[in-house]
Amino acid sequence: MDFDDSPDEAAYRARVRALLEEHAGELLHLAPGQEGVDARRHEPEMRRTQRVLADAGLVGVTWPREYGGQGGTLVQQAIVAQELARARVPGLINHIGIGMCGPTVIAHGSQDQRDRYLARLLRADDVWCQLFSEPASGSDLAALRTTAVRDGEDWVVNGQKVWTTLAHVADYGILLTRTDPDRPKHAGLTMFVVDMHAPGVTVRPLRQMGGQSDFNEVFFDDVRIPDGERLGEPGEGWRVALTTLMNERVAIGGAGGTIGLPVEAFVEHARERLPALDGDRQVLARQAVGRAVVASLAARYTGYRRLTVLSQGGIPGPEASAGKLAGTEAARLVADAGVRLLGDDAVYASTSDGDDRWQRTQSWLPGIAIAGGTDQVLRNILGERVLGLPPEPRSDKTDPFSGGRR
Amino acid sequence: MNFDLDTDQRDIAAGARDFFRGSASPAAARAGLEGDRLEPGRKALADIGFLGITVPEAAGGAGRSVLDLAVVAEQGGAVLAAPSLVTAARAAVLLADAPELAAQLADGSTAFAVLDGPVDGSAPSIDAADATLFLGLDGGDLVVGEGEVVPGRPLDATRGLASVRLTSRRVLAPDAQELWARARQVAAVVLAAEDLGGADRAVELGIAYAQEREAFGRRIGSYQAVKHMLVDAWAGVDQLRSLVWWAAWAADCAPAELPLASSAAKAYAAGAFERAAGTLIQVHGGIGFTWEHDAHLYWRRAKVDRLLLGDEAEHLDTVARLAVAGALG
Repeated sequence: MDFDDSPDEAAYRARVRALLEEHAGELLHLAPGQEGVDARRHEPEMRRTQRVLADAGLVGVTWPREYGGQGGTLVQQAIVAQELARARVPGLINHIGIGMCGPTVIAHGSQDQRDRYLARLLRADDVWCQLFSEPASGSDLAALRTTAVRDGEDWVVNGQKVWTTLAHVADYGILLTRTDPDRPKHAGLTMFVVDMHAPGVTVRPLRQMGGQSDFNEVFFDDVRIPDGERLGEPGEGWRVALTTLMNERVAIGGAGGTIGLPVEAFVEHARERLPALDGDRQVLARQAVGRAVVASLAARYTGYRRLTVLSQGGIPGPEASAGKLAGTEAARLVADAGVRLLGDDAVYASTSDGDDRWQRTQSWLPGIAIAGGTDQVLRNILGERVLGLPPEPRSDKTDPFSGGRR
Repeated sequence: MNFDLDTDQRDIAAGARDFFRGSASPAAARAGLEGDRLEPGRKALADIGFLGITVPEAAGGAGRSVLDLAVVAEQGGAVLAAPSLVTAARAAVLLADAPELAAQLADGSTAFAVLDGPVDGSAPSIDAADATLFLGLDGGDLVVGEGEVVPGRPLDATRGLASVRLTSRRVLAPDAQELWARARQVAAVVLAAEDLGGADRAVELGIAYAQEREAFGRRIGSYQAVKHMLVDAWAGVDQLRSLVWWAAWAADCAPAELPLASSAAKAYAAGAFERAAGTLIQVHGGIGFTWEHDAHLYWRRAKVDRLLLGDEAEHLDTVARLAVAGALG
């Protein structure tokens, strides 16, 4: 056991750090106290930042070299993430593309699709989104109703997606559709790459409870998708989607990455605000701070344990869901303690000097506990696939989707 | 970065599992509540070398790491073994400059206990009930001496809890507060490791039962209410394992991180073990709170351990203070 970098890792870290310094002038940086940037308002700078990082070899670290990646390890990828955070470079605009869509194209796409899309995705020439959830099928994803009907060389798509992160700036998306309603619901699905600028695609941002718009509704009205944009075989869409979903759970907190605000920023906040609280409030706040720090460190180190296993040749399995669950809980404790530290200001949407990080994060986290699988769905996955507990009895795996039982 | 046990430590864990499963059991912990002898007992632990894992080789120990000891302690915790390796770990730190006493610790010829609180009337202290020589902090000095033992009625007999009044004392080291604090931190890590083993075993037993038992025409593990309870208990164990390994590693390799890491592990252990033991009883239903079932033995251990060597509130407060003071780096 050794938490320090191995000589190889130390050398890699030094190289990453040097590259980030060399290109500092071309990268977007977070101001002091700022914890993230709005993809809509800063789209050009975010695209430029990703392009510079990609050209420096710092994007798609674990992707195979033949698709423009670095053929690197997960530990190297974690080092890049740590150094980007240290340099206060905000998250990449194409994080959905890199974490989920790209790996799905690599695993299930044709050579032609890989050639056309992957290099541009890495450089943020194209931004990607993932079109899965629908108003009537969130956690029960396979119950989706958006249809794709074959028409000559094309497929014609009709329906609606929702909760689509980045759709408002995206150029492409991976789209899960129903192509055969007479088969059981998991069997009649097909995946496509869809051009988000195609006629018939309408994107409408959704305003969330915190006031911001990260998600969108997307409407498809007779949108034509050429058959060459299919990902995998017709009817095999569920298998393709599982690749995306597993990558999603690894991407969201599965490998020790932070969800929400970093614990270091939280501790700094506590240092400033704790002394101003009086009596019992301070005692209670310290308990909350301690609990949040402990949970954050536990989630981080559990991620490091997974990372170690993966770097020894293991493959990401269903236990990645535990990382998302623990990371979400830690983030919640951090945000709630962060708000508690504000004293009387905690009841407002921001402090008198305009700091709204803690309240904003607090109102954003209930969404994270739903995105990529609700806490309850993740518990089902862990219970059945890691702990080996029996599944709930269900008939939707065998009955035709069109049979009315949805 | 390499955050995993090495092959050597995996072998140590496997050997310790075999030893503890063969020499201690919840049944013995239950018998202890009626006054019977606890297993495996000090002599067996000394004979296999577990009391001297962190005692230097020159004093007859194995001179190994706290992490190695934690790996062994986890296996002892899984079967509610007694006496606790917490005592050996803590005494080994305190006796670093007293090789003769350290040798008696390692070979089991003297039964040591470390006293918390004032030595003229100590707080309930682990393994004090049948100890013959006591280590304590007296006005800042580390002292050793004999004492009068006042046992209470045990909630968990395996902890050997008793209060002690020293009847003799000699100073082993003056101004020993720092050494004392470090010994207590190492002890907290090893206690968290024993709790990890107990919690892990409680979850394992709960899962096994939920896979077999049927109610309302289905195996109960298929109900989300039961499944989610077990998953939460399991996830707590998974997180605790990371904190225990980190804290044990810090004790060996990053002393500056030990105060924060040990308090983090101890605070988290309190809640994780309670949840695991409570879940074990709940999943079993009526049978789970009978005297004959093992569940209450894990529950007892959890209820007692959460208060020993500082409760959750004390350690959360310590984590907050240390973090704010810059201990996260």
